[in-house]
Amino acid sequence: MRGERADRLYRAGVGLLAGAVPVALGAIAVFVLVDALPALRYMGLGFWTGTQWNLGNQYGGTTASQNGVVAAAGATFGILPYILGTLLTSAVALAVALPLGVGAALFLSEYAPPRLRLWLSSLVELLAGVPSVVYGLWGLAVVVPAVAGGIGPWLSAALGFIPFLRGPVGTGLGLLSAGLVLAVMVLPLIAATARDAMQQTPRALREGAVALGLTRWEAIAGVVLPTARPAIFGAAILALGRALGETMAVLMVSGGSINLLPTNLYGPVNTLAAVIASQLDAAFTDATHMALHALAGIALTLFVISLVVNGTARLIVRREGAA
Amino acid sequence: MEAKRAWRRWASAGAATILAAAVAAPAATWAAGRPAVHRSGSSVTLLETGSTLLYPLFNLWVPAYTHTHPGVKITTAATGSGTGISEATSGAVQIGASDAYLPPAHPSTLMNIPLAISAQQVNYNVPGLNGVHLKLSGPVLAGIYTGRIKTWNAAPIRALNPGVKLPAHAIVPLRRADASGDTFIFTQYLTFSAGKAWPAGYGTSVSWPALPSLVAEPGNSGMVSGLKSIPYSVAYVGVSYLNETNAAHLGEAKLENRAGNFVLPVAATIETAAKARVGQTPPDEALSLVYAPGKDAYPIINYEYAIVSQKQASAAVAAAVRSFLTWALTVGNGERFLSQVHFQPLPPAIVKMSKAQIAKVR
Amino acid sequence: MSAADWEATAYLRRRHGQVLAEASRRSRAARQVRGRVFGALAALGMAASLFPLLDIVELVAVHGARALSAAVFTQVTNGVSGGLQNAILGTVFLVALGLAVAAPIGVGAGVYVAEWSDARTAAALNYLTDVLVGVPSIVVGYFGFIVFVGDFGWGFSWLAGSLALAVIMLPYIVRATELALSKVPLDLREGSLALGVTRARTVHAVSLPFALPGILTGVLLAMGIGIGETAPLLYTASWSNYNPSLALTHSPVGYLTYVVWTFIQEPFSTAHSLAYAAALLLMAGVLAINLVARQWLGRRGEHAA
Repeated sequence: MRGERADRLYRAGVGLLAGAVPVALGAIAVFVLVDALPALRYMGLGFWTGTQWNLGNQYGGTTASQNGVVAAAGATFGILPYILGTLLTSAVALAVALPLGVGAALFLSEYAPPRLRLWLSSLVELLAGVPSVVYGLWGLAVVVPAVAGGIGPWLSAALGFIPFLRGPVGTGLGLLSAGLVLAVMVLPLIAATARDAMQQTPRALREGAVALGLTRWEAIAGVVLPTARPAIFGAAILALGRALGETMAVLMVSGGSINLLPTNLYGPVNTLAAVIASQLDAAFTDATHMALHALAGIALTLFVISLVVNGTARLIVRREGAA
Repeated sequence: MEAKRAWRRWASAGAATILAAAVAAPAATWAAGRPAVHRSGSSVTLLETGSTLLYPLFNLWVPAYTHTHPGVKITTAATGSGTGISEATSGAVQIGASDAYLPPAHPSTLMNIPLAISAQQVNYNVPGLNGVHLKLSGPVLAGIYTGRIKTWNAAPIRALNPGVKLPAHAIVPLRRADASGDTFIFTQYLTFSAGKAWPAGYGTSVSWPALPSLVAEPGNSGMVSGLKSIPYSVAYVGVSYLNETNAAHLGEAKLENRAGNFVLPVAATIETAAKARVGQTPPDEALSLVYAPGKDAYPIINYEYAIVSQKQASAAVAAAVRSFLTWALTVGNGERFLSQVHFQPLPPAIVKMSKAQIAKVR
Repeated sequence: MSAADWEATAYLRRRHGQVLAEASRRSRAARQVRGRVFGALAALGMAASLFPLLDIVELVAVHGARALSAAVFTQVTNGVSGGLQNAILGTVFLVALGLAVAAPIGVGAGVYVAEWSDARTAAALNYLTDVLVGVPSIVVGYFGFIVFVGDFGWGFSWLAGSLALAVIMLPYIVRATELALSKVPLDLREGSLALGVTRARTVHAVSLPFALPGILTGVLLAMGIGIGETAPLLYTASWSNYNPSLALTHSPVGYLTYVVWTFIQEPFSTAHSLAYAAALLLMAGVLAINLVARQWLGRRGEHAA
């Protein structure tokens, strides 16, 4: 009897602890939403479609009221440039990281000798453990000069007929550098997931394909890649989720633009996450606190985007896996 | 297989040892140092954060002050004036450092107390011309920061610098990424001198024109780093970074003042500008010194403020705040500190007003 | 062969026909050339993935090693020079308290998901845990600032920073625990239950010891993630030039990632040195933790096999 009671207590205890995850998630969601409401009411849909971010005149001592909410005179909070910046940097990152990551996974799973495979796999996994500020440091020291002095001018010359890829390249601090650093950051995730999926292809199938007279590559393309496809797709979306929310590395190499819709691949951008990190100090100077609510609105937007992206990734992986 | 396992064990054991050592060394010296703090009786820790322009001076002041006042610890941080103001407002720090005075809507217990007079330089990195003091004006800088003036050899710049061979290269203007008192006084200069040509107004963080070439840099030090690494850039930098801008061989502009003369920020021109304005200082000491009249007055000078709340957490903290700020106004305003950061001391009348404000800290 | 494997096999058997038909249209030599080209592309992908890692390690190791000295470990930062003692200790303090909060909660939650919850609850909790992993760390930092620093009135502090880190680390520990417990052989567990031992006692005496290496690996990985975080700490722990005190609240704490972020943007060479030294310490710390975790992971692998 005593054992049963202890059992129930134990169960209740760990059950309570299991509530921590939903509680943390719920607290973040509720708090951020409630804090964002004044700014969303002040701006309406213009919060997501506007391009101007202006705390208003803090030294004029005047305020403006809009939709029943008070902010500093001239204040307006439009975050479209940062939504676009977030999507564009992540898109560049995926465009670079996906082929490289799948290539690396193919090499690891299909071509590398077993001994080398272990070493290389460990190295790729170590890449995932590098802190994001160190990626930012590397981005500042290596990627930004490379983009300004080599990659940018070369791309602009070679593919300048596409308007978005045309220069000027500028300082290197901007979209391309941020995208490249993000690409390196999400590469291990893609490579490791794709490699695991490729290695799970049943051995008999692979051997059967070769026995039927297919070359090694044909066996890979016909058997291994189709099996791994759902996992690669899922990994790509999870990588997208990671890239969308990354803060420090982007903050260090993006050039931190404001009010600016991206005009080409090289110019300065800003992302939702980087704006929260870099604008909090400015927001606190707003005596009406509306700028703080607007930052909560950005956090809410980022939160929702990451929910949608991560949620979709899991759904797709499940459905494809079942097919 | 056996060999590999052994290798793994060795590697992880070695890694754990290194990790332990890297933590043990600081921990040991930390533990050894702790009793000393306890022996010195009740120690008070003051937190300072804010202006990156004041930061070098605080780093000179704090060791000198704590040397003679061992019961007080002061942490300093260069986070920008905006953070200095907001964290002093929220009570997170005792001393907020700011190049900007408080906006009108601020809690009545909060004070801005001038500690010294500073100036701001406009620096550039134009290869071949960094040894020349290019002449720039408020309207020209407004043109650069709005994108109407795009290249170094644009007509308005040529008109100010006859005889100088200006390159046909695009200008890269730098701005502060953080909420900054330097941005405050720079945009005041643009607002006061360029009128409608500068649309963004002034503030510690303004809504900058949408300009693809505009690059954001964190802090005055970020501005200097940016100038060094980006050719053809231009930036506004606090005069306390003059040693760094000189060491980096950056150009320093002569700025057009209200009288239409082009002047450099040196002791004489800063003093001239200060003399023209300090007499108007109100009791709360919130006053812009930017674009002062006078033939040789340098146009961008300002009070460096400590943003302090009248209500402190305890009598001991309040006493430490009063003691440190009073020390900064007296010993700290000495030549041996200020000359290193190219600041000017406060005139006696202002020291008196600042002391009156310090006395309200309780 | 599991049902899923069987399904996959059936699907691939259908694909074989297409692949063979396509292959037979080309000559053997052309097909082999094609294979080589794609093989080379895969190797290129591998090289391109490894280059950044080697370049980062080289950059950080060369600059960082040059900057290392006894002072780095025994002095606090003074303006933009001095050492990193305060940042090293601060990182240890923040991560240690964060783990002290997150590990028991995370392991408990993992135990519940693996041992007690029905399939639907488990799926829901796993889903929410994955969602929490996906929440950008700056959002967690912002949440921590307003709630811990502001609403709770703790100011910039050890506790605020550690709790923000705990939110980041928690889901990794939950998932690792759940995964490790799910690998406990069924007969081991059922055997214990069949002997009349209660579920709680079975979990405690049989499942948890078996899963311990996996759980510890998860805790270590969470620790590595905590050490490398910046965004959740910026506005919770803030920064301090002094060594951490034992005060939980109202006393900001320095940490290594802050040094990397801010000092590299200073124009002073002493600041650059410290930034690289901090980056080296971070990389070495995370690497060491990874190696130790791998050692445990390896042993668990042997055990399970």
